[in-house]
Amino acid sequence: AQTREELARELPASDLSGGDAAQAGRRFLAAPGFATARVADNPLAPAAAPVGEKMCVSCHQLESEHFTHTLHALGLFAAAKADARIPVCETCHGPGSAHAQQPAAPGLILGFTRTSATPVAQQVKTCLSCHAGGARDHWAGSIHQRNELSCSDCHNPMAKFSGEGLLARRSINDTCAQCHNDVRQQFNRRSHMPLAEGQMSCVDCHNPHGSLTQPLLKTATVNETCYQCHAEKRGPFLFEHAPVRDSCLNCHTPHGSNQHALLSAPVPFLCQQCHSQLGHPNDLQTPASLAGGAHPDERLMGRACLTCHAQIHGSNAPSGPKFHE
Amino acid sequence: DSGVGVDSWRGNKLDPSAGAASATTDARGMSWLRPDLRRSPGGHLYVCPAESPQMQPIGEWEYAGRVQLGYLITFGDDANGHWNRYVKWDSGLILGLLEIALRRPEDGSYADIRASRISDDDAFFQAAFGRAGSYKVEAFLRELPNVVSGDARSIWSGVGGNDLRLIGGLQPGRSSSAEVAAAAAAAPRRSLEVVRSKTGLGLDLYLTPQWSGYARLSEDRRRGARPFGGAFFYNFVFAQNAGVLETPRPVADSTINMNLGLRYAGSAWRLDFGYDGSFYRDRYTRFDFDNPFRIAPSQPGASAPPVERGQFATEPDNDYHNLRASLTRRLPLDGEFSLSAAAGRLRQDDDLIAPVNCQGLFGIDQDGSGQPGPANRFLYACADWNTPAALSRRSADLQIDTLLLDSRFTLQPLQRLHLRGGLRFNREDYRNTYLAYNPLTGDYGYIAENAAPGSILGGQTGIWNPFAARSILTRVRSIPLDQQEIAAHLGADWRLSERNSLGATYTFTRDEPSNRERRRIDDDSLKIAWSNRAWERLTLRASYTWLQRGGDAYDYRLYAPAYSSSLPGFVAPFGGLPAPVVEAMRKYDLSDRREHKVDLIASYALREDMTLSANLRGDFNNYAAQIGRQAYDTGGISLQWDWQPGPDTQAGAYFGYDRSRLVMANVNEEVFGPDPRLGGETFPDTARWWAYDKQRNRSAGANLVQRLGRVKLDAAWNLIDSRGITSFRFNSPLALAYFEDGAAALQGAFSPLRYRVDSLTLGFSLALTPRHSLRLFDYYERGRLQDWHYQGLQAGSVIDHRVYTDAGPQSYTANLIGLLLDIRL
Repeated sequence: AQTREELARELPASDLSGGDAAQAGRRFLAAPGFATARVADNPLAPAAAPVGEKMCVSCHQLESEHFTHTLHALGLFAAAKADARIPVCETCHGPGSAHAQQPAAPGLILGFTRTSATPVAQQVKTCLSCHAGGARDHWAGSIHQRNELSCSDCHNPMAKFSGEGLLARRSINDTCAQCHNDVRQQFNRRSHMPLAEGQMSCVDCHNPHGSLTQPLLKTATVNETCYQCHAEKRGPFLFEHAPVRDSCLNCHTPHGSNQHALLSAPVPFLCQQCHSQLGHPNDLQTPASLAGGAHPDERLMGRACLTCHAQIHGSNAPSGPKFHE
Repeated sequence: DSGVGVDSWRGNKLDPSAGAASATTDARGMSWLRPDLRRSPGGHLYVCPAESPQMQPIGEWEYAGRVQLGYLITFGDDANGHWNRYVKWDSGLILGLLEIALRRPEDGSYADIRASRISDDDAFFQAAFGRAGSYKVEAFLRELPNVVSGDARSIWSGVGGNDLRLIGGLQPGRSSSAEVAAAAAAAPRRSLEVVRSKTGLGLDLYLTPQWSGYARLSEDRRRGARPFGGAFFYNFVFAQNAGVLETPRPVADSTINMNLGLRYAGSAWRLDFGYDGSFYRDRYTRFDFDNPFRIAPSQPGASAPPVERGQFATEPDNDYHNLRASLTRRLPLDGEFSLSAAAGRLRQDDDLIAPVNCQGLFGIDQDGSGQPGPANRFLYACADWNTPAALSRRSADLQIDTLLLDSRFTLQPLQRLHLRGGLRFNREDYRNTYLAYNPLTGDYGYIAENAAPGSILGGQTGIWNPFAARSILTRVRSIPLDQQEIAAHLGADWRLSERNSLGATYTFTRDEPSNRERRRIDDDSLKIAWSNRAWERLTLRASYTWLQRGGDAYDYRLYAPAYSSSLPGFVAPFGGLPAPVVEAMRKYDLSDRREHKVDLIASYALREDMTLSANLRGDFNNYAAQIGRQAYDTGGISLQWDWQPGPDTQAGAYFGYDRSRLVMANVNEEVFGPDPRLGGETFPDTARWWAYDKQRNRSAGANLVQRLGRVKLDAAWNLIDSRGITSFRFNSPLALAYFEDGAAALQGAFSPLRYRVDSLTLGFSLALTPRHSLRLFDYYERGRLQDWHYQGLQAGSVIDHRVYTDAGPQSYTANLIGLLLDIRL
């Protein structure tokens, strides 16, 4: 491993090397999350050498000022004080000497923006050198990876743009809406989960970093995702409603609906897509069955089928096989 | 944590961004080297950063903070349920935001507090402390309102509890429709709402640079009431005999959620072990309510004891455990192999409520003796049924065990080629089933709809007996829904150039549900995707998916074993058992289906400071069903324009349009017969009908933030305009619930479903000093809501023997004026 003295010898004179590390570095050990941070590889600048944070700041002072107030900076600065092998800017941007010599040449520093010459795969690899595993365990092969999203499409660790998460936009929902604005608009419909009201976020249900499901759900199934907030629906119930147990999405559209309770179609027609039993479920109702009509009918008015079959998610009553009780 | 649990964000409608939106942007921008803003690799503009906080020293620590105090006043229809849906605006003092950040640069320690309170039921507080890269401890409290009705009238007292009692002098089981209507009209208008109170504690810990762990514990409590039901048989048939109630049911429960995990991330291996636990507890096991109406026999002259009470079992307490393990190994060729396994258990053993909650007698007193017995066989003693001793077992004792195995790989055998594939096995096993048997009487079955059917029609109680009621068809068993899924996928991505790739994925999924109409459902799908960032200004991501669903034979008689007809001693009624359902019905989650789906996501840099983003999507589904869902198509487009010429100006606008079309078919029966064929005696072609539901949504909005020295102006306008039409056609009036409705035409439609909400925000901010600023704003919202289900209910909420507690969604116009003082601490 490179010693602090060896590093100091490599640093250019402008870095005024050794200052902070010499004064303060001995009181604390570097935090484990930053202890192994090293200068990132940049295949486009194989001959480049580290220059140290102060060299970077000599040109990027304003960037540094914004960056200083992020948790990344807090951890990296403290770690660098404890262990001079730990870089700051170059942890993510790679060795800076070639870039310092030719600032306008693309690719000589690891960049995370549209105009950067750094391939997206390299950008992601750099972030995952510290952030591998955990929530990002199934990034490889996920829909976002295959669509060549970079971490920096959703995150911007260079300043505190969001309250949490070092996001590229002000909130998780705003960040997702960059690409999924159509889904965001669905949350304005009559029935919706409280996303627009700031009470929950896309990440309550989805893991944008990859998961075991195609739609990036955080759990193994749709229903397990819903049960996270709707545990009362989990059961099992004495009498189950088969499509409910199969998937909540058989009847609900989670991103918003013009019907009551996120239903995908108006009742009773929603139910009549599956129920054609003898008796009352297979009757076609007309507006004359509404209140004020010629023959008001509870099968159409208000909650329609659900007025009587109120326990539609399953009943735990011995007298509830038809979800009446 | 984006990998585990919920509560990933805490904000409110006043500021969904939890403070970020109201922060002052840095007039210097992001960089002195480049005046313009950068774009993300996908082509979106990064926003201008906020001014850096001025950290003040306190010993080894430094801090910065901000508090936003204010006053809100609401006007207009401010009691409206929709206006208050997830916010419950209230006039009064508010804490817009409290934000305090403490930092100790020496070792990277920090502490953060954030809080807001905009009404009694809408508030959050969170605190976190830790050391960057070492540990983080977080705690939060939050209250989330959910107003589910803003215009409810309850004829019961005790709303929110589990014992509803009639008000206004109404007598259980003895009141007339007019008396109930008078009581309902006199009942005060009120809102029904459910408030969620959440408390959470979390720990994230780096044990070593490779090993990390987390633990989270939260409690989610809900209190309130929401519209529900209450069945006392068919009022549409027996207008003066039966009863249908919309009751306000209580919501009073709590859920403890627990997530624990240990993770290892090395250069070659990654491991992830996790446990999720959830423990749901309902305050109540049951919910009882008075029935105001007289439930009377349909046969003139017959008498029946009054049906005074109804009941529900609340959702059972349940325990959930899930253990997960995931192992990932780096492979040569820049690949990875991952194997995941999870085993879970959903368990509940709630005490079962008795089949009925009456006292005395129920049923029809045929001989007037008031004595149940062989000579009076439709009259029953409540004591034989109102006790758990009348059940085959006292508690539910139900369980579902789950097992998930998932393996997947990625490889890059060539510089331009990525391969990927995976296998998945998912299984749910039910443990135990329930037999509806009364050991006190020897009867099978249950007491339907609070004993109302059996009090209106002799013998329609819902019970089967090999001696006294041997031809009654009723449910006698629960149906376990074991299911198994096997899925495989294989895909490849070919890089045409550095920023241009094509991909294809084939997926096969086999579902094998037990006790469903099909025992095997196969999905084959092929997805082709194109991702292109090679153009300087344009990013394009497009995909097309084709899916074909098939499976084995569809068995429409599948549920027969759950009915009394499967019991020894059952005697088919004269003429045979009626067909349970038309054989041509195909439930849409099991039906053959062909799907075509297209998605396009694009962003285009109109100028250096301007972006136009677009989404286009279409999803077209055709179902092979003569009866059931036949088609469901959705499609839409959205456009978003963003302009950010500098730190002082930010503007945006969007437009969205989408529509959906659902087609379904059904058939009425002409007679109660055994012929299941479509076009046969029971379900003739003349009784066929079709329904079409078309929904259209238009969204639009614009926003502008402009700073002019010490003054900042902000404006935002948002519109959602939805319209839905549900129409129908039929072959003849035989298809109709009411034959006479078909006299004029063989088609019709319901009134349009309308939902249009316009909102406008105008704000004016003034920087009084470098630390103080004042914001005055007006938020105006107008909603036009129309749902045909509630058409006519405003004129009266009691119709015959029906009671509607909720009058449905109401239009509104409301306004909110706020004054906020923002202080930098």
